[in-house]
Amino acid sequence: MLRVKTGDLSKMGLLFERYHRELFGFLYHMSNNPDASEDMVQTVFYRMLKYRHTFTGEGAFRTWMYHLARNVLIDSVQQTKRAAYHQDVADYADRIGGGALADEPLHKAEEAATMQDALTRLNPDHREVLVMSRYGELKYEEIARILNTTEGAVKVRIHRAMNELKKIYFTLEHER
Amino acid sequence: MNDEPMNWPDEKSKLLWQRMGDVPTPAPKPEMRTQFYAMLDSFEQEEAAKPQPVWKQVMASFKQRWSAGSLGQLAYGLVLLSVGMAAGFWLQRPKDQAVAYQQRIDTLSVQVGEMRQMMMLSLLENPSATERLRAVGFTKDIPDADSHVIDALLTTLNNDPNVNVRLVTLEALSDLAHDARVREGLVQSLNRQESPLVQVALADVMVKLQEKRSLKPLRQMLRQNGLNDLVKSKLEQTIRELS
Repeated sequence: MLRVKTGDLSKMGLLFERYHRELFGFLYHMSNNPDASEDMVQTVFYRMLKYRHTFTGEGAFRTWMYHLARNVLIDSVQQTKRAAYHQDVADYADRIGGGALADEPLHKAEEAATMQDALTRLNPDHREVLVMSRYGELKYEEIARILNTTEGAVKVRIHRAMNELKKIYFTLEHER
Repeated sequence: MNDEPMNWPDEKSKLLWQRMGDVPTPAPKPEMRTQFYAMLDSFEQEEAAKPQPVWKQVMASFKQRWSAGSLGQLAYGLVLLSVGMAAGFWLQRPKDQAVAYQQRIDTLSVQVGEMRQMMMLSLLENPSATERLRAVGFTKDIPDADSHVIDALLTTLNNDPNVNVRLVTLEALSDLAHDARVREGLVQSLNRQESPLVQVALADVMVKLQEKRSLKPLRQMLRQNGLNDLVKSKLEQTIRELS
C-alpha cells in the first residue's frame, strides 16, 4: 500500500486480488445483498486510491481496509434505509449443492436461512463483531484495532452478541 | 474457524457458531474484477491529467534535463562552490577584523601625534631650557611634522637663548631636511648664529646635506670680524667640501 501511496497506483491490483473476497464476505454478511456488496467493494477500493495519503503505514493494511469498509457500509445503510433482504430458501439450496439425501440440502438451507435471518435481526454492533470473527476470521486483537477499543471489550461484545443471537435464532427456529 | 479459541460455555453456543459457518458466502461475480480494473485505469488517467503542483513540475523538468551523471557533476560543483564560499568567508572575516584593528591603531596614532605636537609647541615657549629641550625631543615622535612644527623649530634655532636648545633643535631639523622649507631655513640661519658651537654644527649639517646654497652665507661668515679660529678653519673646510 505504501507503493500505491507514493504514486505506483498499479500496485492496487495486487491488493485487490489479495483482499477483495474477504472484503466482499464482510460486506455481504453485513448487508445480505451481494450486488450492493460488490458495489461497496468497488467503493472501498476507490476510496483507498483517493485517500491513499491517509494510510500511515503504522497499522496493518487490513485494519485500514476494514475502517474504510465500515464507513462505506454506514453510508450504504443510510442510503437504502437498511432494506430487509430475504432470500428464498431455494436460493440457499442451490448454493449449498446436492447432498446424499434429497431433503438434506433443503434442511441445511433452512438452517442457514434461519441463521441469516437471525443475524439480520441482531443489533448491528453485535452482528459486526460476529461477522468479523466468524467470517473474516479476524483475531480479537485485530477487531479491537478496527473498532478502536480493547481486546477485552471485544470479547465482552462477542459474548453478548452470541447471547442475543441464541435468543433470536431459537425463537425463529421454534416459529418455523 | 477463528484460530483464537472460543470456549463457549454451552452446547447451544457451540451449535450456533457451527451453523453460522454453514451460512454460505457467495463468490463475487467475475464482472467485479473487470469493473475494478476499469475503475483503476480511469483513476490513473485522471491522476495523470491532473495539473501537478509547481514544485513537482520543476522537479520533473529538472530530472528530464539532468541525467544521473550530470546530477552528480552538478552536486560536485555545488559542493565545491560551497566549500569555496565557506573558505572565502573564513579568510575574509579575520582580514576585516585586522583591517578594522589597524584603522583604530592608525586613528589613535594620529591623535597621539597631534597631542605631542600641541605639547611640543606649548613647551617650546616654556622659560625653562630643560622643558624646551624636552619639547624639541618630541619632534622625533611626530611622524609628519607640519609647517607649524617646522616654523616653531626654525624660530627656536634662530632665537632661543640657550645654546644646547639650539643645538638639539638643529639636530631635529636635520632629520627633517627632506623638506625644502627646512633646508631653506637652515641656510638662512647661518648668518644669524653667533655661537661657535652652533656655527660648526650648522657647517657640518650643510656638508651632510650637500647644500650648495650655503656657500654664499658661509663666505660671508668668514669675512666676519672676531670669528673663532676653530670656526674659521671649519668654515673653510666646509666651503672646500661643498665647492
